Amino acid sequence: MAKPSVIVVGADKGGVGKTTVSRTLLDYFTAHHVPTRAFDSEAPKGTLKRFHPEVTEIVDVTLIPDQMKIFDTLSNDESKVTVIDVRAGLLSPTLRALRDIGFLDSVKKGQITFAVFHILGSSLASLNEIEETAPFTADAKYFLVKNYVNNTSFFEWDQATHAAYFKKLKNAVEITIPKLNEMAYEQVELASVPFLTFVANKGRNGDAANYSFVLRGYVRHWLGNVWAEYDRIKLNDIIGTVAPAKGPRVEAARS
Amino acid sequence: MAQQTPIYIVASPRPHVGKTVLARLLIEFFRSGRRPLLAYDLNPRDPVLAGYFPKLVTPIDIADTRGQMMLFDRLIGRNAATRIIDVGYGAYDQFFNIMAEIGFVREARRRMIEPIVLFAADRAAVSVRAYGDLRHGLPDVTIVPVHNEFISVTCDKDDFPPTRAACRMIRIPRLSQMVRGVIDRPSFSFGAYMVATPGTPTEIHDWIAGVFTEFRELELRLLMGTLAASLARGSAASPGRGRM
Repeated sequence: MAKPSVIVVGADKGGVGKTTVSRTLLDYFTAHHVPTRAFDSEAPKGTLKRFHPEVTEIVDVTLIPDQMKIFDTLSNDESKVTVIDVRAGLLSPTLRALRDIGFLDSVKKGQITFAVFHILGSSLASLNEIEETAPFTADAKYFLVKNYVNNTSFFEWDQATHAAYFKKLKNAVEITIPKLNEMAYEQVELASVPFLTFVANKGRNGDAANYSFVLRGYVRHWLGNVWAEYDRIKLNDIIGTVAPAKGPRVEAARS
Repeated sequence: MAQQTPIYIVASPRPHVGKTVLARLLIEFFRSGRRPLLAYDLNPRDPVLAGYFPKLVTPIDIADTRGQMMLFDRLIGRNAATRIIDVGYGAYDQFFNIMAEIGFVREARRRMIEPIVLFAADRAAVSVRAYGDLRHGLPDVTIVPVHNEFISVTCDKDDFPPTRAACRMIRIPRLSQMVRGVIDRPSFSFGAYMVATPGTPTEIHDWIAGVFTEFRELELRLLMGTLAASLARGSAASPGRGRM
């Protein structure tokens, strides 16, 4: 059995694009043929599940039965990767729970690969979140994600403050999610399909759709840039999958 | 071999270099051959081309996404009509950036649509630089420099090297100032003038005939290029064919 990988995507602040990042990760693994499952902790109605219903289950990570559903099945599920989209405000409590159930010990022993995608907001509160999260991520691959998808400007981030926080995190790696054309983003929302499916001009049931070529082009270009970031951090190496010399590009999804 | 539908993109990064005259001439050339046409004027503030052909030319502002969808989604639509776009200097950068970002050329070719850029060349350094950038940014697209002698008497061919050996610079000859005033009239039609004005050929007759000949030759050269590429693909796919 290959070593399982768990990727937690979260932030303590809402509206910073956690689910968008989770969706790009699921698309990335789909394109690389990595068996992946996802848990959406936005109970009772999950946004991630709306886009990826086949692989997503809605859970409440604060409840023990749901924690069992996620973590007790890591070794015997056929999925190589588990992506957990953590609801706003629950990142720190979730990491604490992972420590309490011994998950972080298994990570330390090398039995599980663990990555945290910490989505940052534009405010200084986000930098404070990093401090709270840091103690739980010592053995994890810790990524600080600056998400510009909704045109966030990190205006409060003065360089000195920024540097002071980042100095405390020796292993943190920054990821930048670029901005996506608003209308393209909105159309994917309305279509309720994965980004890749939108690029391929397909509907929810795989039937031919009639999305704008321009908007599909914008999504394809944007997703290509996001995936370039995942290639840059060697995400496939981290989760232990053998990626082709040059990973499948979004181009392959053209209709 | 399936017929390709051309998109003629008339462009320059500079104003007043004869783009609209060139687009008008192209429209009238295709009209004279009764060819179905779709045409777009990307000069939202001053859509002069649309003023000449209000029933044919759609003015579009590509500064917003809706305008971009209106243009590019129509350009790749299933319609055999030849497309002509007058890219105003204000829309120049944005037009080619969007084209690259959305992967327009590849998608167009998948649908048997072939973009061809007619670049209004002049002696300004910015034009020479833009031509080089365009060649670099669209390496496999045919870019044909067009020298309008009314704008600049001379134009160094070395500044605008052809992207395909056969597609050399097109020359639009200079017209006398007086006659130029005639063709700039809003009601003036090149095609109608050729048909309706009797008598000895005038300067305008010769001028229009010369320009139309240049366009006809360009079409032939493009067609020959497509044929040659198609034959090369065919012989590469079946190298033993023809040998006994």
